[in-house]
Amino acid sequence: MSPPHAPTEYPPILIPRSFTTTEGNKTGSWRFLRPRYDEKTAPCSVACPAGEDIGRIEMLVTQGLFKEAWETILLENPFPGVCGRVCHHPCEAVCNRHDFDEPIAIHVVERFLADMATRYDLRPKLPKLPPRPEKVAVVGAGPSGLAAAYFLTRLGYRCHVFEARNEPGGILRWGIPTYRLPEAVLKNEVVLLEAQGVEILCGKRMEMGFLEALRGEYAAVFLGCGHGRARPLVVPGSQLPGACTDGLQFLESIRLGFSPQLKGTVAVIGGGNTAVDVARSALRLGARPILIYRRRRGDMPAFPEEVEMALEEGVVLHELRTPVHIEPSPSGWSLTLQTMEPVGQPEGLPAEVRPIPGGVERMAVEKIFVAIGGEPADAFFAPPEVGAGTLKLGNCLLAWAGDGPPLVYGGDLTVEIQSVVHAVASGKEGAMALDVLFREGLEAVEPILASCRVGPGPALSMEVFLKGLRCRRNAHVVKYSEINTDHFTFAPRIAPPRLLREERIHGFAEIPLKISANLAMQEAGRCFHCGLCNQCDNCRLFCPEIAIHREETPRGRRIDYDYCKGCGICVVECPRNAMSLEEEEAS
Amino acid sequence: MKVELPDHELMHSGHVGCPGCGAAVAMRFLLNGLGEKTVMVIPACCWSIIAGPYPQSTLKVPVLHTAFETGAAVATGIRAALDVRGERDVTVVTWAGDGGTFDIGFQALSGAVERNEDFLYVCYDNEAYMNTGIQRSSSTPYGAWTTTTPGRDWKKMRKKNIVEALAAHRIPYAATASIAYPDDLVAKVKKARSIRGSRFIHIFSSCPTGWRIPSELSIKIARMAVQTNIFPLYEVEGGVRYTINLKPKGYLVKEYFRLQGRFSHLTEEDLDQIQEMVEEDWELLLRKAGTMPSL
Ligand SMILES: Cc1cc2nc3c(=O)[nH]c(=O)nc-3n(C[C@H](O)[C@H](O)[C@H](O)COP(=O)(O)OP(=O)(O)OC[C@H]3O[C@@H](n4cnc5c(N)ncnc54)[C@H](O)[C@@H]3O)c2cc1C
Ligand SMILES: Cc1ncc(C[n+]2csc(CCOP(=O)(O)OP(=O)(O)O)c2C)c(N)n1
Ligand code: SF4
Ligand code: SF4
Ligand code: SF4
Ligand SMILES: [Mg+2]
Repeated sequence: MSPPHAPTEYPPILIPRSFTTTEGNKTGSWRFLRPRYDEKTAPCSVACPAGEDIGRIEMLVTQGLFKEAWETILLENPFPGVCGRVCHHPCEAVCNRHDFDEPIAIHVVERFLADMATRYDLRPKLPKLPPRPEKVAVVGAGPSGLAAAYFLTRLGYRCHVFEARNEPGGILRWGIPTYRLPEAVLKNEVVLLEAQGVEILCGKRMEMGFLEALRGEYAAVFLGCGHGRARPLVVPGSQLPGACTDGLQFLESIRLGFSPQLKGTVAVIGGGNTAVDVARSALRLGARPILIYRRRRGDMPAFPEEVEMALEEGVVLHELRTPVHIEPSPSGWSLTLQTMEPVGQPEGLPAEVRPIPGGVERMAVEKIFVAIGGEPADAFFAPPEVGAGTLKLGNCLLAWAGDGPPLVYGGDLTVEIQSVVHAVASGKEGAMALDVLFREGLEAVEPILASCRVGPGPALSMEVFLKGLRCRRNAHVVKYSEINTDHFTFAPRIAPPRLLREERIHGFAEIPLKISANLAMQEAGRCFHCGLCNQCDNCRLFCPEIAIHREETPRGRRIDYDYCKGCGICVVECPRNAMSLEEEEAS
Repeated sequence: MKVELPDHELMHSGHVGCPGCGAAVAMRFLLNGLGEKTVMVIPACCWSIIAGPYPQSTLKVPVLHTAFETGAAVATGIRAALDVRGERDVTVVTWAGDGGTFDIGFQALSGAVERNEDFLYVCYDNEAYMNTGIQRSSSTPYGAWTTTTPGRDWKKMRKKNIVEALAAHRIPYAATASIAYPDDLVAKVKKARSIRGSRFIHIFSSCPTGWRIPSELSIKIARMAVQTNIFPLYEVEGGVRYTINLKPKGYLVKEYFRLQGRFSHLTEEDLDQIQEMVEEDWELLLRKAGTMPSL
């Protein structure tokens, strides 16, 4: 009771005030699904025979880290400048972006990086292992031999490359015309390779007895001597003097600096890259070339883009025809052709064809070029039959006989598809196989190589072999349906500038022109970076629990499982499937 | 994504929202745009619970929990008190659910904005009374199942257009926003914060529990609401100047409805009809925006 005249007293305002946070509630205990960071494999990197880490390369380019991007290629392939130009880029055929708008122009970015490195005269910083006692001899300085030597050198071995000709490069130097591969591009990459410690000895043709001579000095030999001899055309009249010109020799003479003037119609027999290059070169020297191929255009082993460019330039294709007879004529030669028809198409193979009865054509030509495939110039370089004493790997063959050093056959001698990047892949595989053989023995070769596959393989990763960060990748290959396309907008694929047709056909200048850094970044920016975290921060941004925190680690962030309720938003909102959601283990 | 969330946010972990709660994401973005000079008024709603039981609070700004229908009135009072104390740099924000905004709190809201009280009213819209067990509100969309519109009695009325109602009060700023578009949301919050007088933001906030959707699709579904034109992103300044902020990719309404359990009873014909309704609303909005925008 208050006294009667005391002043009025108001009761205190009683509003309960919170004084602690909710962090005491470990809401992570509600969780029955568990998100985690889980980088996966991009389809492009599986399809690249050299296993380049393409998703990451594009990411680095997007961030303007050009040198790092270039070095990331060099981890797996010493020839970005060459491959950015002549590789048939199987990577792009499987690019997930294809299902959205158009595939990433991976080869254009690759070429840009190599050109950038040349322009600024960059030297790569690559992991190199301490020296090993074994020395390895490499026969042939084509892409397979050079790649083998490059990877062996990085693994710590001393390598001598013996090359018959006076310059390295193989078909890159003597076959592929300069409108596709300028000489300087090859030279620059060979110089970098030598700077890594590869020793190339030119003008050293290895003869039959070389194995004997090398014994004791070299612990192994890599054979990458390619298909130096053209397969001859055998039809009545083909042996007449001057009737047939070997296509590969024709290309070589141009690369040696002899450019014969041609005129009139010339026939080019064949459907591979050599035939197409012969036709395009002949066109540039003044002839009207006609390509003669026994199956259909779609069956040609030449890369489709090359065929398309050839036709664009004015080369004529006569498909479903095969030469049966050659005889001299007043203006040159008279070529008799048998017309063919397709009879069936076995799954994944070129069509089967048969002659159409009575289907005979005759044409008058000035010259006949033959480019119907090659074989090893020296029979003793042909790889042995697979059997006892051999181990068949993806792109090369390991053989050991008697007490001689083990041999690895690679490049065109053993690959399934004759291409530069397959040659590189075989060199890398050979280098890994020899390293395992020396250090752990034959039994270990297959299992260790299998553990270095990119996704399901067959491409192999040197970075994984060297236990780099790429080891952490899940082998699962990211599908288009696993990309959250809400986070991407349509953007057309880059159309790199090139010489006009008129500018092309009068010389051997390179056709595609250089692109700016800006365009390269734009193109790389279209990449989904399938399965790879590019630090976009979506997972952290959309988390209702504030349970994802940034940190200074390569991964860049961590999930606080004390509070993560397992809603799964982060996993769905990750644009590129770099996370996984799994059932929580019962505790 | 331009939004940069700071490493130290104004909200703590350990809140008790359901897994995947869109309203929790909405609060995170809101606070990011507001900063710490904020006083929050929360009338009864899920967020009364999410914020934590006494003596906890999940927010690092002062919060006043108030009665269901009083969000705008309490904010008015707090603003007046702050003005007396000369604290002009503090933003007063009411944070209410759709029930507390469209229905029971509407008269207080209408009154406050008619007087052009200086505060920001944010409605996080989960399209029903979720906290009390999914009862329909005037924000529940046409076609939806709730516990008070069960079975064949699914809701046959359209969703009330709250932004239009607020714009009709000719307030300085009214806008829609979505948890799926953080850049847009935060930009709108910052803009609203810089304006004096009554401001209103309507945030679409998915509710896995009430909508019968998988929690991981919470953001995705909010994004689809925008992309289908069901929930367009736009602003109205001074009650008359319309700006549409995003041109949708144009998903079909169906794709949005088919992901949600609350719409699972709808037939193809129902969905076609809803598609028409959505198009009608969108065209109306375009007309108000004064153009067929070449966005
Ligand atoms: C005209 C043409 C165009 C082509 N275009 C493309 C293309 O666009 N893209 C693509 O990916 N692929 C292309 N290819 C295929 C590609 O060039 C080959 O698959 C690749 O070069 C094979 O590499 P390699 O190392 O096995 O052999 P090669 O490149 O043939 O190199 C073999 C090397 O071994 C040397 N050698 C041979 N015998 C001896 C010996 N006894 N002692 C010492 N050295 C020896 C040779 O002189 C040569 O330098 C083309 C091929 C040709 C012919
Ligand atoms: C006057 C009054 N009536 C009813 C309630 C019970 N109640 C508390 S929260 C709520 C629902 C709120 O719905 P909404 O505003 O949409 O917010 P949500 O829970 O959906 O987030 C109800 C009905 C109350 N607190 N006060
Ligand atoms: S989008 Fe990028 S990472 Fe994905 S497949 Fe294409 S190039 Fe590779
Ligand atoms: S959402 Fe972004 S930051 Fe998070 S894991 Fe995926 S790519 Fe990385
Ligand atoms: S009921 Fe819905 S709005 Fe309420 S806390 Fe759960 S998810 Fe969030
Ligand atoms: Mg509600």
